[in-house]
Formats: sequence, C-alpha cells, structure tokens
Amino acid sequence: MIQQIFTTTFFASVLGSAIRLATPILATSLGEIYTQRSGVMNLGLEGTMLMGALAGFLGCYFSGSLALGVLCGMAAGVLMSTVMAFLSVTMKANQVIAGTALTILGSGLAAFIYRSVFGLQKSPPQVENFRALPIPGLSKIPFFGDVLFNHNLLVYIIFALVPITWFVLEKTVLGLRIKMVGEHPRAADSKGISVAGVRYTAVMIGGAYAGLAGAYLTIAYMNSFTDNIVSGRGYIALAVVIFSHWKPSLAMWGSLLFGFANALQIRLQALGAPIPNQFLLMLPYVITIVVLVGVSKKAEFPSAYTQPYSRMER
Amino acid sequence: MATKKKKNLAYKLDKGLSRLLPALGTIALALLVGGIIIAISGNNPLEAYAQMFKGAFGSKSRISETLVKTVPLMLLALGVSVAFRSQIWNIGADGQFTIGAIFAICVTLYLPGENIFILLLSFVAAFVGGALWGGLSGFLKAKFNANEVITTLMLNYVAQYLLAYLIRGPLMDPNGGNNPQSASIPEAYRLPRFVSNLRVNYGIFIGLAVLIFIYYFWRSAYGYKLKLVGASNTVAKYAGLKVSGIVLFTMVLSGGIAGIAGWTEVFGAQYRLLDNISSGYGNLAIVVALLGNLRPIDIGIASFFFAALMSGGNAMQRMTEVPYSVVDIIQGLIIVFVICRTVGQSNGWKQWIAARRNARKAVTAGAAEEDGGEEDNG
Repeated sequence: MIQQIFTTTFFASVLGSAIRLATPILATSLGEIYTQRSGVMNLGLEGTMLMGALAGFLGCYFSGSLALGVLCGMAAGVLMSTVMAFLSVTMKANQVIAGTALTILGSGLAAFIYRSVFGLQKSPPQVENFRALPIPGLSKIPFFGDVLFNHNLLVYIIFALVPITWFVLEKTVLGLRIKMVGEHPRAADSKGISVAGVRYTAVMIGGAYAGLAGAYLTIAYMNSFTDNIVSGRGYIALAVVIFSHWKPSLAMWGSLLFGFANALQIRLQALGAPIPNQFLLMLPYVITIVVLVGVSKKAEFPSAYTQPYSRMER
Repeated sequence: MATKKKKNLAYKLDKGLSRLLPALGTIALALLVGGIIIAISGNNPLEAYAQMFKGAFGSKSRISETLVKTVPLMLLALGVSVAFRSQIWNIGADGQFTIGAIFAICVTLYLPGENIFILLLSFVAAFVGGALWGGLSGFLKAKFNANEVITTLMLNYVAQYLLAYLIRGPLMDPNGGNNPQSASIPEAYRLPRFVSNLRVNYGIFIGLAVLIFIYYFWRSAYGYKLKLVGASNTVAKYAGLKVSGIVLFTMVLSGGIAGIAGWTEVFGAQYRLLDNISSGYGNLAIVVALLGNLRPIDIGIASFFFAALMSGGNAMQRMTEVPYSVVDIIQGLIIVFVICRTVGQSNGWKQWIAARRNARKAVTAGAAEEDGGEEDNG
C-alpha cells in the first residue's frame, strides 16, 4: 500500500483532483471577499450556491448551452444575494440571522423547484457537462501537465479570477470604494459615496461568484443536480475568507488546502488505507480557528465588519 | 381586590395576545406564501396543509412524534436564546449538541456498574461537554476577540468529524455488523415512555425544567447582567461589569444547554450515537429562538409549532405529491418576515423613508447651493 501511495501518478491524481475540488470553494470565497470587505458577512452562501447550482443545471438542461447554464447560475446567485443585501443593508437586520434565513430558504427552494420540474425519477436527469480542455503543449509536461493543465474551462476561468479580484479590489475605484465603506462608512458617506449602493454592489458580486461556483458543481464537476450537492462548501468558503486575511491570493491557497485534504481523503479511502480520514477533513477547520485567533488580535478585520450603517446613529 | 385581580389578568391576557398575534401573523403569511408556491407547482395547497395537520396531530402516534421532535428543538433554541440575548451569535448548537451526546455516552459505556449515579453523571457530562465546546468559542472571543460566528461554525465541523471518527473507531458497536454507530446504552438508562409503543418520553420534563430554569434565570441578577451586556457593551462596562467574563459564562451556559439536548436525544430517542445525530436542528433552533422573541415560554410554543411542521411535512410528503422542502421554504420565510416585522416595529421603515426624503432634500439643497457658486471642489 505504501508503494501505491508514494508514486508520482498517485500524487498527480490527488493534486489534480484537489484543484477541481478547490475550484467551487475558491470562486465563492473570492466573491465573499468583496462582500466582507464592504462590511457585510454573507452567511447565506450555502443557499446561494445551491440556487446557483440548480439554475445552472436547469439553464443548461433546457437550452443545451453550457454558457447559458453558467449565466443562469450567476443570475440566480445575484438574485439570492439581493435578498441578503435587502435584509442586511436596507432592513439593517442582524447578518447572522439574515444569512441563516437565506440558507434555509435557498435549500428549500432549490429542492422544491427541482422536484417540481422533474418529479420523482429513477435516474437523475443529466446534462452534457464541461469537458477537460488540455492546454496544448503545457499539458504534455510530465507531472505538472496532469496536475495543472488538464482541467475544464471553468477551472481555468475561476483561477483567473484570483488576479482579477485582486486587481478590482486594489486598483479600481470600485474596489477602493468597497474597502472604504467597509473600513469607515461615515467617511465614505461624507465623501458622497452611497454606502448602501456600494454594499449592494459588493454583496451582489459575491452572489454572482457563488452562483458561478454552484453552476460549476452541477455542469462541470458533476453533470446532475442533487439536494446536497453543495454540502457545506458555502461555509467552507467563509472559513477560507478568514484564513486568507481577505486577500485573493491567500484565498487560492486556502481553497487548495481544503481541496487537497478532501482529495487525499477520497483517494486514501479508495485504497482502503487504515488512516482515520476524519482527522484529515477536520484539519482545515482547526487551522482556520487558529488563523482567526491570530487575525483577530491584530484587528485585521474590516472595521465596520457586520455593522449596519445608519446616518442617524453616531 | 377581585377587580384588581381581574384587571391584572385582563392586562396579562392583553399583553400575551400582543406578543402572540404578530407571531401568528408571521406564520400565517409564511403559510400563505408557501400555499401559493404549492399551487404554482400544480398541487392543491389546502389538501397539502390538511395532510400536514393530520401528520402532526392526526393520531396518538403522530402527536407523540411531534413531541419527540419538540424536545431537542426546544432545548437547542433555549440555549441559542441565552447567547443571542447577550448579542453573542452562537451558531454552533449542532456541535455542542454532538459533543454533549459523545460525553454522555462515554460515561455510560465506560464506567462500570449500572446505577442511577452513572445516569446522573452522564447528564452532567453532557452539560460539561456542550459547555466546553461553547466555552471554547467564548474563551477565544473574550481573550482574543475571535469572531464567535466563525469559531462556533468551524467547531460544528470538528465535532461532526470527531463523531464520525469515534463511531467508526473507538466507540464502534462491536455487535453492530460494521455499521457506523456506537453500542446502545443499557436498557435501564433509557428515559421512560408514557405509553410503551409511543416514542414520547420523560425527556419532555427535562425540556420543561430547563425552560423554567431559563425563565427564572432572566429574572435573576446574573440574567440581568447578561441582558445588559446584550443591550450595550459600553453601558455594561460603565456599570462595572466584566464583559469578557460574562461572554465566557454566556457561551458556557448556551453550549451546556445544547449538550443537554444531546443527552435527551441519546437517552430518550436514539439510545446510541449515529452519524449526524443533531440532524441539523441547530439551524432550526435559530429560527425557533427568533420566532419566540428569545423569550423562554414563547420559544416553548414556537418549538412545538416547528416540530409539528416537521412531522407534518414528513406525512405530507408521503401522502401527496408535495415534497418536504416546502417546510424548509416556510421556515426560511418565517425568519425573513420576522426580520421585516422587527424592523417595522422599531419604526425602521419610517426612519428609512424619512432618511430618503432628507437625502433628496439635501441633494436639491446642495444643487441650489452649487448654483449660488458655493461649489466645494474636494
């Protein structure tokens, strides 16, 4: 068994699968970075992703177009996050409660719509999903080719979002406004920036990313929809955001850590290795707590984190 | 004297109604929207709701099932309410429940002998387990200012995987045919049932006892301190309270109650540890606590209602074409409506409209000023 584990093919397959498992977490956490930088914590990501997964699947199933599926998923994510923005920005509700509402509502709605559209079926309806797209030349490099350059289009796109997210947050007016609203909403307001407007935008961008991640699950990673397809990835994305200190590049490594732990666990189980895989799965969560403790001491959180903004209160 | 008493009663009734009516309105609205959604999906909402009602209250065994679900939900919601009222957002009830259940079962399986002390000890162990798990988040918040939403959430997963490991490893049932489950507790420890073939059991008394405890707790000096911290950290500091100590205490109590919920589930309903033993009650407990305005008695009523929704929803799914997920939708809608109602009550709407109006005025005024040449080039 040891010989089976310490081979390059084993590692290449674990790492490749880690990247595919990290992708949905990465997309969602990048979106949540926008949201949290503006001072809103969207705990409803789980429900948002599930709605994105369903919409992506339905869009693809009925149009036969993968691109349309992706767009539908993102649209559903935006729609769900608008509800979150309405509750937390306009209604100034507690964000934990609003997020819980959204998760419960999203899981219920997605399961209900799926069942209403397809009824009870013996074998789940399937779509023709994104195919692996080996990058010519690069995919032939031994080991690295298999690990990095033999994925479907959405994987490449989502990893490309890492520098894009960094660029938007650090180098554009929108990014600066988002950070300003998250750090000092009153100052932003006095400069004539609409705090509510920027927060709505940031939450909706986060929703679009989460919807994209959901669509990835149903039409790229898998080719069908199940009620538990998201299975906690929305919450993992939240952990990754904390882990990453709200930085896109670190979010990539955080997602890869979760993806790697999961991929390794799956492979080891398949080999029947007598290692309690639960500890492997537990590890990223424990690391997140440790990182959180470090981050909190240095007060690296956006200053207005989870604080609704009101002109009338001082 | 008699009239005074009568007046007092009428006043109390009035007060009670004014608390009950908004909740009933919220539920009615959620059921209405749920009904519309059922109708859109091509089913008859009245029939679905009739089946749901029958499924929750239609027979002795259905009522029993509803009550069995009420107990853990009520306990978890009570635990959550303790934290929420002090403005500490404990969303880790599932994990605290799980650790409580693990601690309790370890006591009964590993300590020799079968007597009442071990049973009592297991109860204490369940409280301690939940309290440790919740207290860890409380400690991290008090000491390092670590956001309790994230830590309680992460600890949920740690507890879930710990349970998964234990029932496949050290605690695995030797006679369980390789099923992921622990050995069952000795029969003598099972909570007595009222009727032998109905699952409803004495766990209900534990739920009620904790409810009464929390009811009086809020009237005690310590409960008042918690509420003060919840109302405002600054005020509490000025009043000379040690906020970090209270944060820790709150999480210990909140987690401990969740641990007790784990105890009742193991000793009253499941008799052993299974994967996912908290069955996601933790998220629902948040809804129940909110619907119950974080008040113990209201939470008791709300948890019974939610348990009825769940056991009714199961029956509805079996008897009609309408899937169980309608229940999730209704529960989600209830929180959304509770949020909107709370904002409406605190005049948030009026404030919001007034703010909009002021903003518009300010803009027009600003525009007028600009015309006057007082432009500020910032």
